[in-house]
Amino acid sequence: MTDGMMAIAILLPVVAGFLILVIRNYFARGVVVVLTASVLIANSILFASKGPITYTPPAGFDWGTLITVLDYAILITYLVLGLKLRNRLVLIFAATQIIPLAYFEFVMKAHVEVKPAFVVDYLAVVMTLVICVIGSLICIYAIRYMRDHEEHAHLDKSRQSRFLFWLVLFLGAMNGLVFANNLVWLYFFWEVTTLCCFMLISHDKTQIALQNAARALWMNATGGTAFILAIIYLYTTQGGSSALSVQNIIGGGIHSAVMLVPVALLCYTGCTKAAQMPFQSWLLGAMVAPTPVSALLHSSTMVKAGVYLVIRLAPAYAGTYLSTAIAIVGGFTFLGTSALAISQTTGKRVLAYSTIANLGLIMACAGINTPLSIAAAILLIIFHAISKGLLFLCAGTIEHQIWSREIEDMEGLAAKAPLVTLITAVGMLSMFLPPFGMLLGKWIALEAAYKVPLAAIFFVLASALTMVFWTKWLGRLLQVMPKLGWPLEKLSPSYAVPLWTLFIGIFVIGFGIAPIYQDFIASATSNVIPGNNIIASGWASIVLAGSSTGQPAAAIQGSFPLWALYLVLGIALFLPMLFYGLKPTQLRPVYLCGEQTGGTDTDEWLAEADIKTKFILGGYYFQGTVGEKALNPWVNTVAIFLLAIMIGCGVISK
Amino acid sequence: MNQFITVIATIVLAPIVGGLLFGIDRRITARLQGRFGPPIMQPFYDFFKLLGKESIAVSKMQFVWIYSYLVLMIASLVCLVLQSDFLVLVFLLGFAGVSLVLGGFSTKSPYSHFGANRELLQILAYEPVLLLLAIGIYAQNGTFMVSTILSRQEPLLLSLWPLFIAVLYVLTIKMRKSPFDLATSHHAHQEIVKGITTEYSGSYLALYHLAEWYEIVLVLGVIVLFWANPIWIGLLIAFAAFLLELVVDNITARMTARWMVRLSWSVGLILGIINIAYLYIMKGVF
Repeated sequence: MTDGMMAIAILLPVVAGFLILVIRNYFARGVVVVLTASVLIANSILFASKGPITYTPPAGFDWGTLITVLDYAILITYLVLGLKLRNRLVLIFAATQIIPLAYFEFVMKAHVEVKPAFVVDYLAVVMTLVICVIGSLICIYAIRYMRDHEEHAHLDKSRQSRFLFWLVLFLGAMNGLVFANNLVWLYFFWEVTTLCCFMLISHDKTQIALQNAARALWMNATGGTAFILAIIYLYTTQGGSSALSVQNIIGGGIHSAVMLVPVALLCYTGCTKAAQMPFQSWLLGAMVAPTPVSALLHSSTMVKAGVYLVIRLAPAYAGTYLSTAIAIVGGFTFLGTSALAISQTTGKRVLAYSTIANLGLIMACAGINTPLSIAAAILLIIFHAISKGLLFLCAGTIEHQIWSREIEDMEGLAAKAPLVTLITAVGMLSMFLPPFGMLLGKWIALEAAYKVPLAAIFFVLASALTMVFWTKWLGRLLQVMPKLGWPLEKLSPSYAVPLWTLFIGIFVIGFGIAPIYQDFIASATSNVIPGNNIIASGWASIVLAGSSTGQPAAAIQGSFPLWALYLVLGIALFLPMLFYGLKPTQLRPVYLCGEQTGGTDTDEWLAEADIKTKFILGGYYFQGTVGEKALNPWVNTVAIFLLAIMIGCGVISK
Repeated sequence: MNQFITVIATIVLAPIVGGLLFGIDRRITARLQGRFGPPIMQPFYDFFKLLGKESIAVSKMQFVWIYSYLVLMIASLVCLVLQSDFLVLVFLLGFAGVSLVLGGFSTKSPYSHFGANRELLQILAYEPVLLLLAIGIYAQNGTFMVSTILSRQEPLLLSLWPLFIAVLYVLTIKMRKSPFDLATSHHAHQEIVKGITTEYSGSYLALYHLAEWYEIVLVLGVIVLFWANPIWIGLLIAFAAFLLELVVDNITARMTARWMVRLSWSVGLILGIINIAYLYIMKGVF
């Protein structure tokens, strides 16, 4: 049973990927993708129902050697890519990985054998659910999207197979990454995701795509280098394979004085993958790729691997300065990128900045390192994956309707594509408003932030900025002319199924989060840090038990009345939307000082010399204050400084 | 059952208090400007007159958003009277603000857009101050629950006075008083048409005014929290703050939105941060 489940989670995507690569027929390929997706989803639910397991592949096949060989294959691919793209940075950071790895294997003659090789605890189960369910939906979406994408680009030779191959492979690598207990295997899966990421970003083969893919590659390769160094450090100072077991590292099985250096290096690796400042540019560059790539990178894979690693290691750095430093690095990223998001005129870049901001928040929660904040981090991972996955799929659908990614071109989308606008609007509202899950996570984070007051102040400022950029964008979508009865647009099932599933998911999981927390997420939290002061009372509310700041004993610290808040949302928005109707006779044109030219269906007015002129409205972007040019030098300098302090904390704490 | 009665009483009584406060506001402002001014009950006369007008609109969503502005404002106030979580209260207030802004954005009207953009900047200016207040309350009480503030004997004002000053800013912004009456103003002489409410008329405008009445009760209610025991001192402080706003309103002119955000993000936040830092050092968290 366990054999089969592990094989499906990690190896099925590989097999299915190769199958997809050879199938040239659109429908046959689609069927394979849908089947793989369904099996992966069912398998992840099986993992959830089975609970924690440990697993070591049966002896008889030398998986360790295979992984070593593949490690070199990946790193040599980096070298070849570096030469082909003539990119010095890619070459350098490929070399800084391959040389230490060779040293580790051949000079030190390291023999690594960790048992169990895989540990699937509740945290890993949460991750695999996110990866398999949301990742699979994105793969289904990509089937149709890539066909439309190629039709629009007028390609001679279809490259859809190649695209779907890397997309499906990504899911397998992510599953391996979250299950792996052997640090060397974890490193392998880590590099596979980096490679998949490069291949997907560079998919369109344009100059800009190649350039941005190369940047993603070298930035992540610096993380890979730190990973290798951490492995060598652990192996030499602890002398043996047992030091390379993740469970040993976090379980206190290793003398902690020397531990912080490798842990700090691994946290740096997590920061590169999670695109924390100053590495945000690779994730922004990744926006040139077709939208399913962005959806996958931002919601369920890649960046989530970065925060997963940092959360996973949380017990290893609990109570140290390193922990505080991580909270501040994450908090600062949350603040900086939320400000930068306001200045963005391209929809996908706003989404990207918002992702980085939320990853910063998750990172900060890991750094705050209390049961409350870790629970917030896990909840944020889940809800962010749902909402952001949905928003990227919406962005892709919008792009295929108006063939633009610019926010200003989306003006009045509510009239052109009401269904997609509705889904997008709910997706956006779910990112920052009560009663939705993201806000629940942010609420717990704020309630937990007292331990690192500087991070708390970053959270406060960033939350306010978050409201501005979402509302601003939403306002552009919803601006309409006085007209009634918009015709609904048609969506192909490959678009509609993922969109509506995620849309419903926001409500179902958001509304049912109290029992889900109780039965499931609480266990994931206690896999990281013992103790739990979140009490879910039925379906109604989530209550935080009193804290221990030496205050006069407070019965409860805070309460989030889920049931009541959803009721308020229903009364406030859904009731009037469903039951309120206007009559055509009640409509009037907007006020234009009496200079409008006609009825409700025109936006022309009489300009100078009574010439009919269409009037134009635009959004505010504050480029001078929070634009990339104005802000980047400052925030990047501070971010580099903070990152240096973070690693420094690992070194001096011993 | 008790809670149910409290909620109903709040929903009924708050707009009466809010409307009366606006009546007092108009009377005092008139006197300050050398006019006689309308009767105290004038806001109610206006309200019922608006309700009786023919309802015309420029889009359906406009109604949805202004109505949700009202509902969310009531929800936020209910959060206060039920002595619930202060952070949830602030989030609901934020949602209400977002609803109002989206109402402004949901038509293709230049004046309404002006107002909506400025209202958004107003949210940016006051939201962090309120969240900092929440953290200040936590630093003092060890909980975010309003119930603990009310049961506490020592008033918050003594330890949170810098945040109190910052909250007075919020009061000016929320009451739409000069120098922060950017989105829409009560004074005609400095207004671009009618800002964010330009496109509302008749019963829709009445809804907006109703929401404003709830809003002023809510914000003054937050000020009462600074001296909750005995509560009459808190009420006096809140009324004094209200009168202070009227004076400030009449001796200043509208400033730019940029200036407002800068001021609130510098002075307001510095006050809040110093306050919280002091509390943390005193509690020995560091």
